[in-house]
Amino acid sequence: MWSGWSKTGTTVKQDRSCVSVVQMKCLLIASESAEVLFHWTDPEFQQNIQEQYGASQEEGQGLPAFEDSISTLFAPIIISCSTMVDRLGDNYTSFTTENNHIYVLHQFDECLYIAVNGDGEEGEDDLRRKIYVMKKMIEVMFGMVTLSSNLLRKELRPQDTDQRARLWKHLQSLLETYSHLRENDQSFLVEAVERLIHPTLCEQCIEFLERRLVQQLNSSVERAGEEVLHAFILVHTKLLAFYSSRNASTLPTSDLLALIIMAQNMYPSNVDLEDSGPEDVESTSGSGPESFYTPEPSPTDRDSSSSDKPVRGSTPVFEFVDPDIQMAEDSLRTLEVPPPDPSTPRRVFLEVSLKEGLYPMMPHSMYCLPLWPGITLVLLTKIPTTAVAMSVYTFLEAFANLEKRLSQGQEGSAATRGPPTIHDIRSKLDKFIKALGPSEIQSAQLQNVWTEFKNRAFTRGGPGFNKHLIPWCKHMKTQLCGIYRQCFLIDSGPADIPRRLSPSLQERAQTMVQEKLMDWKDFLLVKSKRNITMVSYLEDFPGLIHFICVDRSTGQMIAPSLNITERTTSELGKGPVARFIKSKVWNLVSTTRRYLQKGYSTVTLRDGDFYFCYFLWFENETGYKLEAGDIPILPDDSAPIGMLAWDYYRKLLRYYSKNHQGEVVKCYELLTVHLGVIPTEIILQHCRQLASKLWEPSRNPLL
Amino acid sequence: ILVKIHILVPTAASSGVKGEGDPTREGICYFYPEETPLDRQELLCGQLAGVGRCVSELSLSPVRVLQLRRNKFAIRMKDDFFWALGCSMDVPIVSVCELLDQLIDLFTFYNGSIRQSYQLNSQEALAARWAQYLSHLQSGSSELHHIFSCLRTIDSTNVDPLLLLKAALILQACQRCPLVLAGCILFRGRVVSTQMFPELTMKVMVHESETYTKAPRSNGQSSSSPSGGAVSSTTVFLTLSELQYLQSAPVDKDFRYSHSTPHKDTVPPRKTRLSRTLSDMASTESEPSDPGSPPSPQKVSFSPDSTFSPVPSQSLEPPFSNGKHSHEAEEEALEESYYHSFHSNGGGGGGGGGDTSVFEEDSPLNGGRGDAACGTVFDFRESRSGNEESRDDEVQEEACRGGGVCGSTGDPLPPSPPPLPRSGALGDPEESPLVPMTLYMHRVKGLVLALLVELHFLSDTAATEEVYHSSLASLNGLEAHLRTISPGPPGPPGPYFFSHFDCIQSTLTTNLSGGPGGAPERPFVRATSLLHSHFCNTETLQEAIIRSAGAAVYGTRSVAQETFFQQHGASLRNSGIPNHQDSAFSLPSKARHRLLKHGVNLL
Repeated sequence: MWSGWSKTGTTVKQDRSCVSVVQMKCLLIASESAEVLFHWTDPEFQQNIQEQYGASQEEGQGLPAFEDSISTLFAPIIISCSTMVDRLGDNYTSFTTENNHIYVLHQFDECLYIAVNGDGEEGEDDLRRKIYVMKKMIEVMFGMVTLSSNLLRKELRPQDTDQRARLWKHLQSLLETYSHLRENDQSFLVEAVERLIHPTLCEQCIEFLERRLVQQLNSSVERAGEEVLHAFILVHTKLLAFYSSRNASTLPTSDLLALIIMAQNMYPSNVDLEDSGPEDVESTSGSGPESFYTPEPSPTDRDSSSSDKPVRGSTPVFEFVDPDIQMAEDSLRTLEVPPPDPSTPRRVFLEVSLKEGLYPMMPHSMYCLPLWPGITLVLLTKIPTTAVAMSVYTFLEAFANLEKRLSQGQEGSAATRGPPTIHDIRSKLDKFIKALGPSEIQSAQLQNVWTEFKNRAFTRGGPGFNKHLIPWCKHMKTQLCGIYRQCFLIDSGPADIPRRLSPSLQERAQTMVQEKLMDWKDFLLVKSKRNITMVSYLEDFPGLIHFICVDRSTGQMIAPSLNITERTTSELGKGPVARFIKSKVWNLVSTTRRYLQKGYSTVTLRDGDFYFCYFLWFENETGYKLEAGDIPILPDDSAPIGMLAWDYYRKLLRYYSKNHQGEVVKCYELLTVHLGVIPTEIILQHCRQLASKLWEPSRNPLL
Repeated sequence: ILVKIHILVPTAASSGVKGEGDPTREGICYFYPEETPLDRQELLCGQLAGVGRCVSELSLSPVRVLQLRRNKFAIRMKDDFFWALGCSMDVPIVSVCELLDQLIDLFTFYNGSIRQSYQLNSQEALAARWAQYLSHLQSGSSELHHIFSCLRTIDSTNVDPLLLLKAALILQACQRCPLVLAGCILFRGRVVSTQMFPELTMKVMVHESETYTKAPRSNGQSSSSPSGGAVSSTTVFLTLSELQYLQSAPVDKDFRYSHSTPHKDTVPPRKTRLSRTLSDMASTESEPSDPGSPPSPQKVSFSPDSTFSPVPSQSLEPPFSNGKHSHEAEEEALEESYYHSFHSNGGGGGGGGGDTSVFEEDSPLNGGRGDAACGTVFDFRESRSGNEESRDDEVQEEACRGGGVCGSTGDPLPPSPPPLPRSGALGDPEESPLVPMTLYMHRVKGLVLALLVELHFLSDTAATEEVYHSSLASLNGLEAHLRTISPGPPGPPGPYFFSHFDCIQSTLTTNLSGGPGGAPERPFVRATSLLHSHFCNTETLQEAIIRSAGAAVYGTRSVAQETFFQQHGASLRNSGIPNHQDSAFSLPSKARHRLLKHGVNLL
């Protein structure tokens, strides 16, 4: 009882002090010198900053002024961070204040990310996840440039303030789209892809994508050297069909989820707006609908950090954009950005696994073609110069390995061990530079640094491989990243030579799929909201309220739809009840992640009137249940458990497979919510039935 | 070491440490470990305090927690002072914060306002005190104790329940002196019985352990007690809310003259208990010797206790004992059983003579106690539970009001005790004034009677002598008994681990050895720590089972307790797939079954 009272005591105290600030959210990226590389704040945070700081300034409204004050306010924290790293070898991971404001800090190379929450809606884990997702989105957008802090800093903070404003607006809107999905979409809650459950239609569509669409596109002369590797159809965030061409590697779940965020950001589902009750509208407006629904600025603008680059695509091509979407966007747009050229692909950097190995951040082009509001066709193409990216990556890896060994104190041949050895690299890099010579890519600087490196490393009697070579490894890395940037982030070619699928080809693709799906369109839109429903389970599983089942090996999930809006009544009832259950499910996921992080793969909880279960298990290909193994215990500030930003499950599978060599190991998760009055044995039986039924190859008859 | 770093730095306002450029060195009041190089001290203090201030400004609220990759710091920023307490990563943050609050409260309890102390005393002297409190908080307890921040009690399984009763009676007897607020009895640094709430008991124990190891402290004024060295006292500072709470708790003297009521039959003490505790156990075990017969309703209660002078304000004449009543028979039966149990304990040897004297000495006390107001049965329970629970007090109070017969004494009781803020929120010395009180301690070898008394108690010779003499013999007897109780073989630990935390009394029962290097216990302690944090953060959570490859641990909690249970060797091969035959899911029933014999009732 004592502790009970005392808790109330503290709460009361907290409440008193947080009267003035109700909500406060912020995400900040800063360089080591406390320069702001990106910031996103909600209106409350902005207001708070301005009240504290801007009050003393004459004009606190403009962007630079706000940026200044935010950087001044955070500067002591940022500087203290680097002091702690330098002098104590430790770093801050989080702060909590008495009014429950949470600050989470994470440093990636020289970029410090700080995420703040002041409304209690996000915990430390959520904020850390946000940071990692932000980093993931930046990687997808900037590829290997992120490996050089110096270049990334310039990329994130263009000198030109308009350009900067546009880029930041774009990143802010991506972040908001992600936050919105994470808070409302179960597939982004558990970070796995949700498929529309309609086997016949799915099959038909996949066949269509393969035999008709991709084949036709790849045999067209208008493809300008690009090759469609993946094609998929999204209904809102759910996957209707996904086809990968034969010579494409599998698209990792992490990348697919990131692409879905980008697609959602470009063509936001208006469902949320249409169907939302008053509260929902309010909550989205809290984060600023104007920025949320702002279409992305033209990627050509985004990509340009050299101001002399001609701005292409300033003439909008509207022919194949659905007028409804365009209108909705127009009415919501606040930024005076030239409308994007929809036929210009987006440069994305995705992981590719080939026989030779794993190549992260390989350049692709992403074409997002809206079919109808809510239904989108996405094409991912390989660009002709991919080989350059693979070479650059190989070199980068070699220099990074060398640097690591040298800084560990290894010298001479011990440091140059392969594969690939630095000697292999030497001839390859020579050839690479020679090949770059005649192109428009400026490689003179790389050439110089490489010559200097060779002089130091390979000359007889020279310094050789020791710690004095470390700075030169760094220089080489920076130079290579610079080449990569020139090749893939800047369209340096003549403006009139198109490097993309021609607009008419894109249009043809769009029309083809539209024709194919015309009769299904309305069905699909409804189906995406009620993919599977609890009704079909009630008879067989009395007392079951909700479940989520995830196949972590394929990154897919199944869960009954949770409709929390006022207008649609689900079997959970309307608004408040459904919202309550939703919040329980969301909490359950974060709770079980915390236990999983500490090595617990089974969790059951009796909480209020509910009984929650969580199971994680492994099977082999034939469905034989494998023995539960040790699950690594991770520190509190480890990367968030999930698949979007950091693929925990892939690592877990690899870890587990060590003891199951020669076997294909699959990993599954099941979360259930039951009424608390149901006897535990029955609940566990339900769980068992669900676990075995849901992924049966013959498909669950209930679905 | 649990505590890695402890820092106390006055912030800008009080010491002149201002911007980054200013030297923090002079500003550091105390840094633990003290041998840390000054440069490092300065660096840490500067950075933590600086970041703390910056974040506080941004959020308009003081920082509570600073986490680093390898350390976590609980922070307090109060009265221009900045505290940071750093612990290793495996201690839950809830516990670190609690520990820091305890530390600050301890300091305030013995020294009064922190700012004033630093104005009046030298930094070195105060540093010694911080060191002392820190070492006290860290000393000899297991990791589980740190997780729960609980009181250390004597191992009740080895102690005859009647000894606990005896201790409680001694305390109640002392309370008859109006200058005595509340007290506790400690034996070798462990609580035998207490009337105070856990946070206060914990504070009192520091002084006890100190006098136990050292000579009386410089600031403890030696009292003019008849016994000389055995009695000491020191000034302590209570917050207003603590004091109010103590004063509002009904004490024994209020019931002395009231009639017994029929109420007692309708109040089955069992049901009023929220938890099963150390003292509770005692009552269950002594139940067989307790006839359980309804005491005669007509009986008039009285106070035959002539050793105490009646409180002047009391208007009722103490009634005289009018013959033997059923309850007195009970009393005797109890005492007999006490003898039996004592002798059967095999401790008879040396203490024989002392025993009888204890009982002779005690009889009147016991009798008086037994006759107290609200009915014998009820009172018995109350006295057995040592008056240490507010809950009991409240129940008793209610029972009295229901009967309408108590409260004929001078001081009416407030309707309910004021809520007691948590230790953390307790000492806000600048806001709520501190009330100086005296902590009186009477030591008999390893046994200590600690009483919180009014300041003028010491100058009141009659009162001091009375308290001293009335308790001396009983204390001697109790000490003799407790001393002879061998710790006993710990007994087979059983094929399971458990820990049971009583949130109300802040006590922990466990079968863990608690020693360092308890490798097999690690998974259990880890799971307990996680689950405890989860329980703290989620009020609606009632029970949980979590399983890793190595261990499945069951945790359950109610308002009053948290219990954790792990079965050994139960990690049969399992696939982790849901299976109702899985041994992990039989843990709740096993725990209910197994823990009954430890006095833990999970039904």
